[in-house]
Amino acid sequence: MTIIFLLIGLSLLVALVFLAAFLWAVRSGQYDDAYTPSVRMLFEDEPIPPT
Amino acid sequence: MAPAQRRPELCGPTPLCLPVPVLLESPATDLACAHCGDVCPAEPLRLAELPFCCAGCRTVYELLDDNQLCTYYALGERPGLKIKAVELPGRFDYLASEAVQAQLLSFRSAERGRLTLHVPQMHCTSCIWLLEHLPRLHAGVVEARVQFLRKEITITYLLADISLPEVVQLLASVGYEPQITLAELGAQPHRASHTLYYQLGLAAFAFGNVMLLALPKYFSFVEDLQVGFGRFFGYLSLALALPVLLYSARGFFRSAGQGLRQRHINLDFPISLGLASLFSVSTFEVLSGRGPGYLDSFTGLVFFMLIGKWVQQRTYDALRFDRNYTAYFPVAVTRLTPAGEQSISVQELAVGHRIRVRHQEVIPADAVLLRGTGQIDYSFVSGESTPVTRAAGDLVYAGGRQLGEALELEVVRGVSQGYLTQLWNNPAFTKDAVGPTLETYANRAGRYFVALTLLLAAGTLAYWGPRDQATMWRAFTSVLVIACPCALSLATPFALGAALRVLGRHKLYLKNAAVIETLGRADTLVFDKTGTLTDPTQSAVQYHGRPLLSIEKQLIATAAAQSTHPLSQRLARELATEALPLATCQEYPGQGLSATAAGGPALRLGSAAFVGASASRPEGAPGTCVHVALDGETAGYFTFRNVYRPALPAVLAALGKRYRLAVLSGDTDAEGPRLRALLGPAAELRFGQSPADKLAYIAAERALGHTVVMIGDGLNDAGALRAANAGIALTDTLTNFSPACDAILEAGELGRLATFLGFSRACLRAVLATFVLSLCYNAVGLTLAVQGHFTPIASAILMPLSSLSVMVMATILVRWAARRYQL
Repeated sequence: MTIIFLLIGLSLLVALVFLAAFLWAVRSGQYDDAYTPSVRMLFEDEPIPPT
Repeated sequence: MAPAQRRPELCGPTPLCLPVPVLLESPATDLACAHCGDVCPAEPLRLAELPFCCAGCRTVYELLDDNQLCTYYALGERPGLKIKAVELPGRFDYLASEAVQAQLLSFRSAERGRLTLHVPQMHCTSCIWLLEHLPRLHAGVVEARVQFLRKEITITYLLADISLPEVVQLLASVGYEPQITLAELGAQPHRASHTLYYQLGLAAFAFGNVMLLALPKYFSFVEDLQVGFGRFFGYLSLALALPVLLYSARGFFRSAGQGLRQRHINLDFPISLGLASLFSVSTFEVLSGRGPGYLDSFTGLVFFMLIGKWVQQRTYDALRFDRNYTAYFPVAVTRLTPAGEQSISVQELAVGHRIRVRHQEVIPADAVLLRGTGQIDYSFVSGESTPVTRAAGDLVYAGGRQLGEALELEVVRGVSQGYLTQLWNNPAFTKDAVGPTLETYANRAGRYFVALTLLLAAGTLAYWGPRDQATMWRAFTSVLVIACPCALSLATPFALGAALRVLGRHKLYLKNAAVIETLGRADTLVFDKTGTLTDPTQSAVQYHGRPLLSIEKQLIATAAAQSTHPLSQRLARELATEALPLATCQEYPGQGLSATAAGGPALRLGSAAFVGASASRPEGAPGTCVHVALDGETAGYFTFRNVYRPALPAVLAALGKRYRLAVLSGDTDAEGPRLRALLGPAAELRFGQSPADKLAYIAAERALGHTVVMIGDGLNDAGALRAANAGIALTDTLTNFSPACDAILEAGELGRLATFLGFSRACLRAVLATFVLSLCYNAVGLTLAVQGHFTPIASAILMPLSSLSVMVMATILVRWAARRYQL
């Protein structure tokens, strides 16, 4: 049953990775603006015309 | 000149919480400007077969067309913004100054600069698209990012290729002139705090894991597991719960501590007490090897309560509730020195300085007019939109916007010492003096709760002490543990948070959820008159004098349409006839205009002195007058009087039944009888009130124990709005200026004020009902606790059940109230 130690350790590690991902997302400002990106993603990428 | 400029309809997806007001008006011609969608004049300007209402719109279209940016017009329907006719050269020169740049730029290196600007005009998808494609218009702009809900744009630019004034000029040239005011200079754009997200994430992480580790204790079929690993699980849970105690729950402990220091027990006190006892009892149990303790309940409680905080804090980003005069006054003024004109910051302005104020500029300080005729629009101050005429030698108060020719002024009082701005030196504006506006129900409930729990805890000690030592300790700690009024603390945020969103949908935007509680408990409503009860965009025009021939009417209408003066514009709209070709037409700023037409009489229109009318003001005529003289002979005069908002009689009658009403007006008592009829015999009517008088009146009412709601609109109401328990600022366009307040109401919705207040009362009842529910849970818990039967498993069931049911019930009750009030 000592495998439990390993399993719990691994599951905690996975959970910590998700926690870190969440904290990184907050830190990089992804929760600051929940509206504009939803509009921005619908814009067409036009090639910049040669001038 | 096109009548009544207005915004086109909303285009693109509707912004979540900031609808742009749509004023419907039947089109005069069938051609809409290809840029802004306004009605075109009879002979529109054309470019490539497209009609334009003015040269400004056509210029923007040309600019966008040249840069292949016409997708702008494809995303929304005629999204363009009208360009101001008057473009003053050197308007943005002050931005070149090193001191201003140091305050505005958030980042600066040898090559690049970055700054965030507030652009209140942005309203649709097209706006976002164009603003983010700014680099195509100028190679010096590296990146432009829009934050739509905050109406902000962050621009990164190359210092070598473009200067800051040029960046702002570029924005202005496509119709998005940023708002740069004194307030922006002081503080960098506010960044959303991330702390709550961190706390919430950490608590959620710990809650999930601790719950899993606690499971073996609750289920008999994994008993072996508990025997073998119980201690390990316990230590692990403790390790996970520790950061929750130290970081996530910090806010509750801090708030409780602040309350205690002010000798005040708030709801966070019993919460902190409960959390502390939960954690210490659990630590003791884990360390002494008795079991995992209540750590799952502990982390869960913190998680749920943080959700409550999160629900409550979401507010309206783009609206500013804390603006004072600095948000409205210009950043820089033109100072006249012997060496010539010089652009200086408003803060440097001192008594004795000579300044020049041009068309559309705001007068920054109380000053004496030296040269020029002042046509000063004080609508932001008093709500009165008809400009006031001032001649050389007159004292001009700060806060007005000059219309017409440039003025020369000599400053007589510093910016912060002016008649208007000294209002902000009143003690009401220092934060501590205002104090807690109202004791919230939650805090009061919290206090009784503390008293009750401590009493019960002492009772269990006394009862079990002589009988059973072990049970005594278990019962005593259980009582303290169950004392955490988690469900109670969730009732208010969820009920009021839901109500906040309901009211936001109906254009009453509240600063925070606590304002609902104040509104629900108000007993006195105080209104400002001009601009609040009256509609500043409307006035009733009446003609007195000899009857006018139709050709004379035509002449007056045509001549009046040539002038930009609001009264002329109003007159032109009122008469609205076919245009007559004018032979001559000349405007004399501050006095009137003269015009002649082929085959028609010579017209003089304007002030009494200008047209040569005998009496300066007809006896008993309210409001403003415009006199008419035809061929040198006085014919009569037009009167303009304020009209009350159409919904007013009904709403005042409804409010009068329940509330004490009062009107504070800066005007004379000419409107007294009409107001008396509207408000009823019991209402308090006060006229000739200065901004400081208004503040004092509200403060006196509050001192008498009334809960006062002030409804006002201008800067002169700022003191009263601040002094009241809740200040509601009325605004016609949300992006416009509104003084510091607790709530912003769109003017068109004033008629529903009675509904809003009724709904707030219903929300308070919903909160109280939810309190009862959560107290029932606590009663069950306490019954178990005093008998010594309160186990971790009972806590693990009771805690999430109570929290979730309270959240659901609060939301449902508010929804139901909203439906009953048809909101």
